[in-house]
Amino acid sequence: MYGDFTAVRDVTFDVAPGEILGLVGPNGAGKTTSLRCLAGIITPTDGTIAIAGHTMDDDPISAKRALAFIPDEPHLFEYLSVEEHLRFIARMYGVPDVEARLPVLLQEMELSDKGLSLPGELSRGMRQKLAIACGLLHDPSALILDEPLTGLDPAGMRRMRATIAARATRGAAVILSSHLLNLVEELCSKLLVLRQGACVAYGTLDEIIGAHPELSGLSLEDVFLALTGEAGQAS
Amino acid sequence: MNALLYLSWTSARNRFLSAFRRVRSPRYAAALIVGSLYIWSFLFRSPNRGATADFLLGRPSETLITLLMVLTLAGAWVFGADVTALAFSQAEVSMLFPAPLSRRQLIGLKLFRAQVAVLINTLIWVFVLRRGGNLLPSPLRAFSLWILFSTLNLHRLGAALVQAAWKQHGRIGVRRNRYSIAAFAFIGLFIVAGLVVHRSSYLGRGIGEFFTGLSDVLGSSPATIGLYPFHLIVAPTFARSIAAWRVAILPALGMFLLHALWVMRTDAAFEDAAIEASAERARRIDAFRGRRSFGTITGPKAGRTSLRLAAKGHPALAILWKNMLCLRRTVQLRLFIGPLAMAIAFGAAVASAGGDTAGFVSVTAATFAVMMIVFGGRLIRNDLRHDMLHLPMLKSLPVAASHIVFAEVASAALPMAALQFVLVVISYFGSLFAARQPIPGSIRLAVVVASPIAVLALNGALITVQNGMAVLFPAWVRLGSGVSTGVEALGQNVLAMMANLVTLGIALIPPMIVAYTSVLFLDASRGLSLAFVLVVASLVLTIETYAAMRFLGRALNRVEPLQTL
Repeated sequence: MYGDFTAVRDVTFDVAPGEILGLVGPNGAGKTTSLRCLAGIITPTDGTIAIAGHTMDDDPISAKRALAFIPDEPHLFEYLSVEEHLRFIARMYGVPDVEARLPVLLQEMELSDKGLSLPGELSRGMRQKLAIACGLLHDPSALILDEPLTGLDPAGMRRMRATIAARATRGAAVILSSHLLNLVEELCSKLLVLRQGACVAYGTLDEIIGAHPELSGLSLEDVFLALTGEAGQAS
Repeated sequence: MNALLYLSWTSARNRFLSAFRRVRSPRYAAALIVGSLYIWSFLFRSPNRGATADFLLGRPSETLITLLMVLTLAGAWVFGADVTALAFSQAEVSMLFPAPLSRRQLIGLKLFRAQVAVLINTLIWVFVLRRGGNLLPSPLRAFSLWILFSTLNLHRLGAALVQAAWKQHGRIGVRRNRYSIAAFAFIGLFIVAGLVVHRSSYLGRGIGEFFTGLSDVLGSSPATIGLYPFHLIVAPTFARSIAAWRVAILPALGMFLLHALWVMRTDAAFEDAAIEASAERARRIDAFRGRRSFGTITGPKAGRTSLRLAAKGHPALAILWKNMLCLRRTVQLRLFIGPLAMAIAFGAAVASAGGDTAGFVSVTAATFAVMMIVFGGRLIRNDLRHDMLHLPMLKSLPVAASHIVFAEVASAALPMAALQFVLVVISYFGSLFAARQPIPGSIRLAVVVASPIAVLALNGALITVQNGMAVLFPAWVRLGSGVSTGVEALGQNVLAMMANLVTLGIALIPPMIVAYTSVLFLDASRGLSLAFVLVVASLVLTIETYAAMRFLGRALNRVEPLQTL
């Protein structure tokens, strides 16, 4: 709650290792607030958040150590170079073999020749890649991504999709928030649809359509618009 | 209504309303009450006469302000003008630069918007100078101050425009601005000549006579020729009668108009520089920091050398490491010139007689150490005052909030304490060879021995106070590494600095009680006893600071990114 305003209410879900949950909803539905609560940035007024078995109330440090939050706007320290960001994160999350991981990750993110650059010297897409690299460095058990493809070029988008899928395959629980419904459809095994701060649908696409037979045969976009009550506005 | 006027008015109104709405929070409401009482006690008490009037409105004060003005303006030319004087917000760059507006209209917008800061500071200084007595009606004093601050603001913008022209046109730009360059060279030549030729009039004569002597030197030829334009701007503010004000105001108004004409006619293709400055600022202003636009923000130098960080160890140390890199890459050394100049002046005033170089060094170093206690926290801001802008990232890190606060406070307190300790040591060794030694050697030694702990405790407390303001009142405190350097921001800075010192003074009460009690049982005139008392008092202050940091850690857990809006 922000003052008298309830941003998100009665939202319950779980994401198992290897699963990718797609968090979708129109603007102002409470997606970013939900993700910030999960990342420990905002303390929920009520309820419990557990990451890899650690609750955010009782053991926030362990919970945060197990997750990575990659926001839509890359939050970077403007005075740290690319490599320094990764060393900082490595120390924070206790990554002992940072020297071995660093070149691999930089290459994966196409930042190998930018190691000494400051964020101000990088393009928007490169800054996004650095934020993603920071999130992936410590091999998190839970990966929370808010519009991860923003600012990336087509090749970068393809690589990012592969990276997310690979992380899930290696056992990470992934929560992906995006307005790109084709991305959600391609990657996500479950969906959580928010509208005005409340959950209007949760489960696999088949489970959701099973609960709403009138949506059978529709595309994900039409399902989304119908669930969020925007079908009429969109047409 | 004119579109630019509408933009300025609605922006200012909404910013004020946004800050004022915070009062609905009990914490902000309590702060408003305490702040109002503080401002009332500081500014609104009944005016004094006699000694206070002489101090505030006397010739030495006028000289000091004139000198500060010369140094500030010269700094803009010697060390480069503040590029953010040209900065527009990202929205303004996107919407106004492609709009059918002339360059002159855009500069006019910058000037108009600066009036908010100018008017606030005019108000503050009217009340400050009112403490010096009702020698001049407040509206006249306010008009004088408005002229002073507006002229300085114009000069700051003009310097930035001229330097943008140099960058744009190279040698041609220099040729186009040859009159500005010649004028400052002329002014500097006369002032320096006066100060050098008549140095015996103010050096080595004690602090009181120093300012009197300096006033006389600066008020006589040849310095007075160079300082004449500055005197014209300052004179109405220090007028002590309506008759004197009448004489002074017209030339001041003339200087203001000349500056306005100069700025509006400066032929600088400033768009590129403005966009560059805006982009530089925007890089540092993320979604949470849109409203703050007054600070000087210089770009971090792309340092290719780094500090080593071990892969293993307490994660909070990584924050300390990060902030040390921040300090190294963003510190504005030119901001230290003012306090250093004051320390040198004080050293020259009390210890330069008879070529006592060692005494001069000793007094200057000690004075600079004290200056750093007063001003240091404002100049070194690589702590939560900067990192609150990265709150989402900070809060998602797997580190306890109290450890974050501890690391952040240490980031600013450690370099300040190290600098002060070095200065204390220099002062001590200088005093060993000084011609006069007014303080006994055992006492000086005791201060040096206790100083590592004392300066750490003192700076820790001071920085904790300032970080506490950022954590508890993020919507009201200016966040970021930038420091407001314009003279027009002087009023707010003085108020904030005084508030910090008052809070520190309250925090110092328990250590003072412990120190006083210790003195009852020990002979403080003995160096060893004094060192012991200082260390014990410092430890008490450290315990207080530790408790405050734990409290701030809990408060940091509750702060949400939206509160920094």
